[in-house]
Amino acid sequence: MNFKQKYVFLFPGLFVLIGILIFPIIFVVRLSLSGWNSYNGLNFIGLENYIRLFTDDPRFWESFFRLSFLSVTTVILQYVIGFALAHMVWKDIKFQRFFRVLFLIPMMTTPVIMTVIWRTFFHESLGPVNDILSNFGMSPKWLTDPVLAKVTVIIVEVWQWTPFMFLLLLAGLLSLPKEPFLAAAIDGASPIRKFLYVTFPLMAPISIGAIIIRLIEASKIMDTVYVLTSGGPGTSTETSSFYIFIKGLREFQMGYAASMSFTYLIIMIISLTVIAKVLTKLMLKD
Amino acid sequence: MSKIDLNNISHTYNPNDPEPTYALNPFSMTWENGKRYAILGPSGCGKTTMLNIVSGLVRPSAGSILFDDKDVTDLKTEDRNIAQVFQFPVIYNTMTVFENLAFPLLCRDFEKDKINERVNSVAETLNLQSFLKSPARKLTADQKQLISLGRGLVREDVAAVLMDEPLTVIDPDLKFRLRRKLKEINEEFKTTLVYVTHDQNEAMTFADNIIVMSEGEVVQAGTPKELFERPNTTFVGYFIGSPAMNLFETEASSNDCVKINGTIIKTNTNLSKLKDKKIKLGIRSEFIDIAEDQKDNLLSVEVEKVEDLGNYKLLTAKMGNLKIKSKINRETVVPTSDVKLHIPAEKCCVYENNKLI
Repeated sequence: MNFKQKYVFLFPGLFVLIGILIFPIIFVVRLSLSGWNSYNGLNFIGLENYIRLFTDDPRFWESFFRLSFLSVTTVILQYVIGFALAHMVWKDIKFQRFFRVLFLIPMMTTPVIMTVIWRTFFHESLGPVNDILSNFGMSPKWLTDPVLAKVTVIIVEVWQWTPFMFLLLLAGLLSLPKEPFLAAAIDGASPIRKFLYVTFPLMAPISIGAIIIRLIEASKIMDTVYVLTSGGPGTSTETSSFYIFIKGLREFQMGYAASMSFTYLIIMIISLTVIAKVLTKLMLKD
Repeated sequence: MSKIDLNNISHTYNPNDPEPTYALNPFSMTWENGKRYAILGPSGCGKTTMLNIVSGLVRPSAGSILFDDKDVTDLKTEDRNIAQVFQFPVIYNTMTVFENLAFPLLCRDFEKDKINERVNSVAETLNLQSFLKSPARKLTADQKQLISLGRGLVREDVAAVLMDEPLTVIDPDLKFRLRRKLKEINEEFKTTLVYVTHDQNEAMTFADNIIVMSEGEVVQAGTPKELFERPNTTFVGYFIGSPAMNLFETEASSNDCVKINGTIIKTNTNLSKLKDKKIKLGIRSEFIDIAEDQKDNLLSVEVEKVEDLGNYKLLTAKMGNLKIKSKINRETVVPTSDVKLHIPAEKCCVYENNKLI
């Protein structure tokens, strides 16, 4: 059966897809081949932007590796903490419902506002964190030391997004079949063995999904950095998206920013595909 | 291997309700060491609850369980030393077949040599030697179920192996082979096997003793022969056997006779106290035959249809509004219209209020 009317039904979805996804990508590609800035139009300059990016811009690559470090670290921490919390409230414990809701609260807050609050928390002279630490003779430079600034970004990101990981993993744990756990109890497995040989392998597919979703999200770290450190001190917390933002929307080098965006998109697609494959191989062994 | 006593066991899942509903009504029973038991009944009759009470996954609301006269009611599953095989194969996906079989021994800190010896012995019994080094997840469903079983058998001192519809996922042909394997294992290891199923055929071919359950009640426990020939209730008569037992609403006409559509049928049951009471006469289709030289206990019936079911013929006949089924030899020539059926008195079961007299 070949109804021509089917195209009428396809059109709304296709229109939205073209409007919000395909057109912007094609536009970015075209833009990246131009020297477009605030005063001249879409003049075609060939691969000039890409040549500049690959040969003459170490700052982009530094920000990219920094981003990789930050996103991998935060996602690993989120996974470990999220799994531990989910495992805790999965079992019948007192105030189980209360804890389940409590652990979700950070996710319900507005990230930018929470980051402002965190910035106040970690403020070196006015913040309560250093106020407490000063009693022990310490006053770490949370936002102005290159290493500690990264730690601060990681803390805030982990606080904000662990609940998401917690939610996915708890849903996974609650959907697990009972029999493997009963069988392990009958076999006399200790709680550690039960976790290693039953819970963890059964959770592998859900874990992979959760990690990939969070990696995609984490690779866009921008608002936290913008509010917390503005990429500083120097460029020590500058991530790819923040650097692209500076080039495009502060310095108005639209063409160059577009070439960075497109390169970044390609790298992310390749690396996330590889990561997904490696994780599947490691965790599912099939 | 143990003798298992169930004393006045009962269970409800809503004990705090003013009127709790019982998943398992009070019953007592002893399971002898080294025998094969089948718990048989339709879905939701309390079979799995009974099994879980024995394995310790459910604590009974009342009553006690004794393993070799030792009270284990309050012991946890892991301390009861039982093995359980579930409906769907449960294996440790990340381990090899060897590691799977060795796991219960490893958890109990057995010596390496002992583990090797036991695993190899069990693998040989279950024909799994050639797979010992393969990842367990790569095996077929029936092989995985054998691993589940093997993990139970690998412990020599296991009190009983409990199986909850373990052959559901297995092909019919393999089911038959696995059942035979289970029997062999029982004979070799003298392990008490308890097998939950809703398939009467499985229960009849597997068990020494069958416990038939209905709506949380143990309605009859006995050998397959007893259940087949003398069902305690009409439910058992109906549930066991294919086709189900013929049951006729009737009334006693004398001390040992009943009247079916005006025909007097003699039974071996004393009916003197049941005159004018509504009773049911039950007879298996296997025991009804086309009358050749018999003179008594004959029913004149009209043949409705004859089905050839391979190794026998199934005759469906009508007598007024009664339907009668009879399994007859496939060589027998069946008349197409009227026929006389012989009802042997010694095989007749009489029921009052659906209970055998």
